[in-house]
Amino acid sequence: MNPFAYSRADDAPAAVAELASKPNGKLLGGGTNLLDLMKMGVETPGKIIDINRLPLAAIEELPEGKGVRIGGLARNSDVAEHALIVKSFPVLSEALLAGASPQLRNRATTGGNLLQRTRCYYFYDPAFPACNKRVPGSGCGALHGFNRIHAILGQSEQCIATHPSDMCVALAALEAVVRVRGPRGEREIAMADFHRLPGETPEIETTLSADELITAVDLPSHPFAARSHYLKVRDRASYAFALVSVAAALDLEPGGKIKTARIALGGVAHKPWRAMEAEEMLAGKSAGEEAFKAAATAALAGAKGYAHNTFKIELARRTIVRALTETAAKA
Amino acid sequence: MSTPALSPRILGKPLNRVDGRLKVTGAAKYAAEFNPVGVLQAFALTSSIANGRIRKLDAGRAENAPGVRAVLTHQSRPKLDQPKARKNSGGGILNESRLPLSDDRIYYGGQYVALVVAETLAQARYAASLIEISYEKDAPLLTQKQAPGGGKKPKENNGEPVQLQKGDVEKAMEEAGLVIVERIYETPTETHNPMEPSATVAEWVAPDRLTVHDATQYVKGVQDELAQAFDLPLENVRVISPFVGGAFGCKGAVWPHVFLAAMAAKAVGAPVKFAISRHNMFSGIGHRTPTTQTIALAATREGKLRAIRHRTETLQSSVGEFVESCGARSTGVLYGSPAISVDETVFTVNVATPTFMRAPGECPGTYAVECAMDELAVELKMDPIALRLANYADEHPIKGVPWSTKHLREAYQLGAEKFGWVRRTPEPRSMKKDGLLVGWGMATATYPGYKMAAEVRIRLHKNGTALVQCAAHDIGTGAYTVLAQISAEAIGLAFEKVTFELGNSDLPFGPVAGGSNTTATVGSAIYAAADDLKTQLANLATADTRSPLHGVDIDKIELAEPARLGASDGSGKSDSLTELLQRAGREFVEGNGGFKPPTKEPDVAFQSFGAQFCEVMIDPDLPRVQVTRIVSVMDCGRVINAKTARSQILGGVVMGIGMAIEEETIYDPATGLPVNRNLAEYHLPVNADIIDIDVHFVGEPDYQFNPMGARGMGEIGITGTAAAIANAVFHATGKRVRDLPITLDKLI
Repeated sequence: MNPFAYSRADDAPAAVAELASKPNGKLLGGGTNLLDLMKMGVETPGKIIDINRLPLAAIEELPEGKGVRIGGLARNSDVAEHALIVKSFPVLSEALLAGASPQLRNRATTGGNLLQRTRCYYFYDPAFPACNKRVPGSGCGALHGFNRIHAILGQSEQCIATHPSDMCVALAALEAVVRVRGPRGEREIAMADFHRLPGETPEIETTLSADELITAVDLPSHPFAARSHYLKVRDRASYAFALVSVAAALDLEPGGKIKTARIALGGVAHKPWRAMEAEEMLAGKSAGEEAFKAAATAALAGAKGYAHNTFKIELARRTIVRALTETAAKA
Repeated sequence: MSTPALSPRILGKPLNRVDGRLKVTGAAKYAAEFNPVGVLQAFALTSSIANGRIRKLDAGRAENAPGVRAVLTHQSRPKLDQPKARKNSGGGILNESRLPLSDDRIYYGGQYVALVVAETLAQARYAASLIEISYEKDAPLLTQKQAPGGGKKPKENNGEPVQLQKGDVEKAMEEAGLVIVERIYETPTETHNPMEPSATVAEWVAPDRLTVHDATQYVKGVQDELAQAFDLPLENVRVISPFVGGAFGCKGAVWPHVFLAAMAAKAVGAPVKFAISRHNMFSGIGHRTPTTQTIALAATREGKLRAIRHRTETLQSSVGEFVESCGARSTGVLYGSPAISVDETVFTVNVATPTFMRAPGECPGTYAVECAMDELAVELKMDPIALRLANYADEHPIKGVPWSTKHLREAYQLGAEKFGWVRRTPEPRSMKKDGLLVGWGMATATYPGYKMAAEVRIRLHKNGTALVQCAAHDIGTGAYTVLAQISAEAIGLAFEKVTFELGNSDLPFGPVAGGSNTTATVGSAIYAAADDLKTQLANLATADTRSPLHGVDIDKIELAEPARLGASDGSGKSDSLTELLQRAGREFVEGNGGFKPPTKEPDVAFQSFGAQFCEVMIDPDLPRVQVTRIVSVMDCGRVINAKTARSQILGGVVMGIGMAIEEETIYDPATGLPVNRNLAEYHLPVNADIIDIDVHFVGEPDYQFNPMGARGMGEIGITGTAAAIANAVFHATGKRVRDLPITLDKLI
């Protein structure tokens, strides 16, 4: 861990001003990922700005039934257990509870979770010389290394890492909106645009600017949100990152016909992966195995595996079918 | 004086741990929690290559960083004497023979290349990142195929033969009409990962006197190696280790960090704490070698084994030899067969040195053999228990001597009954529940009865309490409690009156807490010391003219009532212990005794056995193995403490579940570094993975083994577990996975 300066901001404008004043600054929320990375020497911020005193932990209904706003500092546990979330956005509650451990969820914040960094071994451990995300231009250690946990969709030759969050997969399916504040004022970023694919610049992971603060995440009250579900497949029963996960949401007509479907995948790409083509295929179809299988096949049509992770393609197909089936069966 | 009652008062009781309260309140102090005045913190830089040399190492920036007191490198470290590796009990154990920072050579990834000592850990860690190092890198050689010079065939392992031949296996296999099953089974590198990472706090209390607080399974071993390395008399080195937060074998040998801490403390003239990181736990304290085992079983149609061949390949490093002994320790003891061949080959690669990990040999060995037996049972359409009973070894299959006691038949029987084995339908995929595939499998467990050497001192105080001492260890096993129970039983005191002290090299000799030997070895020495104590007391009482026991035959004196001596001659005479010592002007009476294993090969074999039954449930589409039920029945002689014994078996079974479905240390082919060297990515079982484990004991006290009749049970619980799970997975899915762990990608 490198020496760094520490300061504490009392409100959002102060935090943003402080961040803008130091090019190498980082905001500290729960610290569950940042401190780990600092100890490993992966993150070496010159300044830590503690934002835990900012009044951004509320979870409240938006006016006119427009949805729910989750403060950037709302802890993962509080979001997961909140009555509004459990009732109207179950996929988010389920995704949060499928992640990490109770201790970590008690610390981790909504904004921090959005900015979680990959668990790729070659990124996380600076002893490995090659990682384009950590040292641009150094190569990708995973490409010809051990890549069982790596991406099958949207990756590039520069980076085959995956996004580790469960929460973000649910937010993608719910078409959440990330609210941010920077020196140029406030703006909104659609969840689908928040995280980036690696392309030639895997070190740039989001469209958030280095001087911006995540103030909130808005969950719009889409009709599919209440019938939603998260299914995570991992190597042990708890406390493991997803091999594959699926956030599914369905708006069904009384006869079982699908009006709208939302499918997002975790553990397979550099960002929460929306299977939009599969979603479109499902619209107007009868909810059932046949439609779900076709959608799953379409969702993985462009998938590419490597030496150790090809199994994820079939696993993802099966997980989509199961997640949609369970979602459709929800009362 | 008379011998203790044959019906024990205290042995067998499910007593709570005497150190339980200390542990749950945080009052038990572990090695890294000792803070001598002025203690400095150490952090290591480790090699990022696995084979080659350090070309250039510049510690200038690190040395000038805030708080830094010293940077030890191969260029700057103090010179040490090379301790001689002594493998047998009594001396310390060096699995890695090369002392740290000896030269510029890199033998494996994660090797210590520098140690920074600073005022705080954060300062040391930061300074380590400032060390400039470059390497001459050679390609890492990581596998049998890459190993230079092919494999070697060791003759012995800890004095036990490794290569076994009985009859002529090749000829026996030619017999007409035999069913032959030949399969290859693989187990990966597994890393112990006890909750407490290793730590050493070294303090030179005088220029020639060293005190270390160390997380170790062998205080006398650490004392021995440090004394050799620093050329000190043994008694000038004190090693203190009252509590150890799990070990499983990785704290049995003396590893480089121990020398580094002592070297650093000498170099800076202040105490130094080197609490190694979880990263370091993957290359600095050993691991279980990966194994490739080829098993051939030849049996008649009726299931009578005619030949068993067990070939094993394992890995070691070029700075440390290690033999896992898979065949000798499983096939060598399990089944009767006229022909048995066991062959072991060790390859030298650029991976850190392996070491003992819970049931070394037996654990991977039983996995392979017990899976092969299951495959043979399927081939023969026989029940797996019936096949095992058809080949039940009534005597040691290699040595041909009888067992001291063996109750494996009862273990199979009770296990089958508790598990409900009779309801099993043999066809794979034939059992289902709630849309899940259900699989039932079983396997045999085994572990030898080992004894080493120990000495014990008992001080019986005039208030009727006793302090019993031995440089033994409680690595989370319950030894504090169990040894106090044996002491109370042997002396004739109430359990509450006895305190057992261990984990300190100042105490009488105690063996390594390895080979599941502590109870058997130290318990035997306790009985010897108790005999001596009682002789001292009887002499004191019968010679004391003011004692009511004056003149009574000393053989007729016993410690009967609490804190009283009585005559067993029917006279009803007795004396108070307090008054006896008061009159003699003494605060305590001391008894000393020891135990040494016989040098001559015994004419019986001491071996524990057990049966593991497992149920798995597997979603056919998303096939992660869930172990829903295990019944574990063990024959380990007498159970000294029903509670801690059960915990030992539980712990072994849980570790076996990890081995079967989760654990694997993976090495990057390009750099040779372990890729998953943290607890997020090295998967151990979590609570949610552990559902129902039912432990039972069968058998009888093994009085030929020791006065308590107890064989150790620290390791047997892991044996057979992975095989029972793998066999259950086959039964559930029809798919035979022969390389562990059985992760879902292998079943999809």
